[in-house]
Amino acid sequence: MNRSPGSFSRAVLFLFVGLLAGLGLGILLHTLTSGVFNATYFADIPSWMLGFLLGTLGFFYGLLGYFGVVRGLIFQVLGTLLGAGLVSAVRALLKTSFFDLATFGLTEPAWVFGGLVGAVAFLAGVGALSDWWKWARGEETHDHHEDIPGWRKYFGVSLDHKVIGIQYTFTSLLLLSVGGLFALIFRTELAKSGLDIISLNFYNTLMSLHGMVMIVSILVGIAGVINYLVPLLIGAQDMAFPRLNAFSYWVAVPAAVLLLASLGLGGFDTGWTGYPPLASRAPVGIQMFYLGVWVAGWSSILGALNLIVTVLRMRAKGMTAFRMPIFVWASLATSIISLTATQLIGLSFQMSMFQRLFGMPFFDAAKGGNPVLFQHLFWFYSHPAVYVFVLPGLGIISELLPVFVRKPLFGYRWVALSSIGIALVGFLVWAHHMFTSGMNEYLRVPFMYSTLLVAVPTGVKFFSWVATLYKGKITTPVPMLFVLGGIVVFLMGGLSGPPNATVSTDLHLHDTYFIVGHFHDTMFGGYIFPFFAALYYWFPKATGKRLNETLGKWHFWLMTPSFLILTLFMMRVGLLGMRRRIADYDPALGFDPWHLAMTIAAFGIALAVLIFFYNIYKTLKSDQMATGNIWNSRSPEWQVPSPMPAHNYDHEFEVVGEPYDYGLPGSTYVKM
Amino acid sequence: MNHENHSGSLYQGLVIFVILAFLTAVEYFIAITNASVLLLSIVAFIKVGLVMYYYMHVYKLAQEDDEHDHHSYAWKLATNRLGLWLFLLSDSFVFGGLFISRFNLLGFTRPPLNQFLGLIVTTVLLISSFFMNRGETQMARGDRKGFMLSTAITFLLGLGFLVGVVFIEWPNAAAEGLTVSGSAAGGIFYMMTGMHAFHVLTGLIFLVIILRNTARGHYSAEKHWAVEAAAVYWHFIDVVWIFFYPALYLIGKLM
Repeated sequence: MNRSPGSFSRAVLFLFVGLLAGLGLGILLHTLTSGVFNATYFADIPSWMLGFLLGTLGFFYGLLGYFGVVRGLIFQVLGTLLGAGLVSAVRALLKTSFFDLATFGLTEPAWVFGGLVGAVAFLAGVGALSDWWKWARGEETHDHHEDIPGWRKYFGVSLDHKVIGIQYTFTSLLLLSVGGLFALIFRTELAKSGLDIISLNFYNTLMSLHGMVMIVSILVGIAGVINYLVPLLIGAQDMAFPRLNAFSYWVAVPAAVLLLASLGLGGFDTGWTGYPPLASRAPVGIQMFYLGVWVAGWSSILGALNLIVTVLRMRAKGMTAFRMPIFVWASLATSIISLTATQLIGLSFQMSMFQRLFGMPFFDAAKGGNPVLFQHLFWFYSHPAVYVFVLPGLGIISELLPVFVRKPLFGYRWVALSSIGIALVGFLVWAHHMFTSGMNEYLRVPFMYSTLLVAVPTGVKFFSWVATLYKGKITTPVPMLFVLGGIVVFLMGGLSGPPNATVSTDLHLHDTYFIVGHFHDTMFGGYIFPFFAALYYWFPKATGKRLNETLGKWHFWLMTPSFLILTLFMMRVGLLGMRRRIADYDPALGFDPWHLAMTIAAFGIALAVLIFFYNIYKTLKSDQMATGNIWNSRSPEWQVPSPMPAHNYDHEFEVVGEPYDYGLPGSTYVKM
Repeated sequence: MNHENHSGSLYQGLVIFVILAFLTAVEYFIAITNASVLLLSIVAFIKVGLVMYYYMHVYKLAQEDDEHDHHSYAWKLATNRLGLWLFLLSDSFVFGGLFISRFNLLGFTRPPLNQFLGLIVTTVLLISSFFMNRGETQMARGDRKGFMLSTAITFLLGLGFLVGVVFIEWPNAAAEGLTVSGSAAGGIFYMMTGMHAFHVLTGLIFLVIILRNTARGHYSAEKHWAVEAAAVYWHFIDVVWIFFYPALYLIGKLM
């Protein structure tokens, strides 16, 4: 991907070329549709707009086109125009409407097809497909791929799992900020009863997008940690399929763009679940939402496939199943779910998309369809998905705890198998989201019991953590603080779960803020806290610099109480009858002070995350290096100097002992 | 198992094809006599088992390769194979979801479809699987000319299947009143056949790629992973249809 840097003069040249091309194209279309050429077309506003759009794209292509991601985004816009134009042209030839002001100029099929072509064009533009294209043409590609040195490699296609891991993590933090910003906006609206700041539709759109943007952020975040760590932990040079790995990352970028594009196309008001029949009459933005999730699903599926093959085929000598680090077990369990169940959310969204596009009445009861079918297909993924989100996080907790307690992990085998257990039981619980949906009543009790069964393997993890902490030499640097915070918060999420799983209480709690409080606890305890723990812990491994402890402590001690206030108050107003997903509430309910407190707490979390970003910035600018085994870990990646060398380990290591035998004299895990 | 790269012999492929054709006839016979869902399911599972074992060679996944050399062809081959099968596992969840949706929406009724046409396209796809297997076996023996011919026939039969479903069966069903937007039955019929047809289309593209690259002198008896992958994918399309055919044409009372 070596391309020469752009220059300003070339950018200006491309600007004019784009402008003229757009203007010319507009006038040509005008002439073709009206049949005669008319000089007044030169004053045509849409043609000029097209010209300006192409001119701007040309400008940026000339200036920054050597960055893969810029090329990709420009291609995505062009691809969207091309796909949408194609559909519109076909519709014009068939003499059906090809222009619709209600759906932002183009018709709905044009937007959807354009969005799909745009996503593929992004991948072509960034260069994620070029090696496969060569293979299809029967050409050879280099097995060893050298990256350009410096920070530029992060903005284009790289096949190195460490670079991809960092790309994923950066994207995840970006999406976390976007999703958090959405939450802050509608949280501000909720601070006081009455509709003061934003419109109903905008509230609904932000609330729905907050959910899905955060989910994609989490999926991308766990993919980042998994990508960076698993090959290092198992002693592999890279993932099994490096090109597929790059593809999995880059396909998530146009997916995120599509998701956010729904904002510009009228938004949607269904919540992140996208249930029909409401989805059937939502604005056209819902199609971009469906498409974005569908495309993001491929990132998840193919990343999981890659991970499973990597773990099964590329472990170091001597690393038997029960000598694998817990994080590797957790990644494997997560990937089993991602690989298979993700297809079902894709299918449910695709069917709902087609119901809108072609009128296929899958979920339209008037034509023999069944709206509950959508919910079954949707939750078959979307419930196990929460285990996709938390399992790697819980794995990180088990991974880091022994390091900071200087004691062996209690019950290693049980903890390892509990991840797989949660993943497998997770496939059997989806209908507990549908106790009030009007599904067949005989399904309620079996799903209640299967859901409560999840508490067993999860309990195993908790007992292991508590027993590991017991009588340990506990030190609390920042990563350990986040580990302990994660355990406490996830415990709260876990304990507030069974009331939702029990049919009798769920009938009252369903769709209230109690649920919102519950799942934010599980997401923070199972993902956000461990994710930050992992970032603080492995940041020195990736960069050779250690994040500032004082700022880290500020981050933790501001975020944790804020978060606890937020979710405990959510549960309280939920129990008292506050419905979720609504933009306004009756002041007579007396929720105003509670909501105000929650809004302030939400800003506290935002401030804490800002401190974290400042910490990253400050640490990267400083010259202080931390190249050694700063946590005194037994894990192989800490036995080599930081930052990690480009091709990982010089020599393959051999596993000769148990991974977590901290504090036992004379025990070794790896022989380097 | 024999010495020819564990890919079975031409003779074995033919025997399996005859059994599969016989079982298809049995399926049709069951459907027109007592229409037992249990019997139809048993036959479908036997057919899928035969295709997966003898045509897709699923047992190769369990083959030991004790080589720790990650740059060797044998290691890469085994790794790629595992990746492909995991992809097929993932993909089968889409088709499984469609299959379950069909029974959720229609129960034990079936849409009015042209039985004759259904049997024809099913047979065409089955014959294409036979030729695909034949082609792969020929490649494993170094018979590149034979491979080209067999794969070209596979391609033509696959194209015939695609045309039969999309350009004959679809207009035919629409004329019978089974339209895309008219009823959930129509919706799920077009969705199931459409998703399957999309996979046939991608399979045809893979066939074109391996044909073109063989013509340009790539692949050998020892190294032809792309051929194996395209063949396994092609048989997977057949496996899906083995379930979809009875689900759409044979099971349930005519609505």
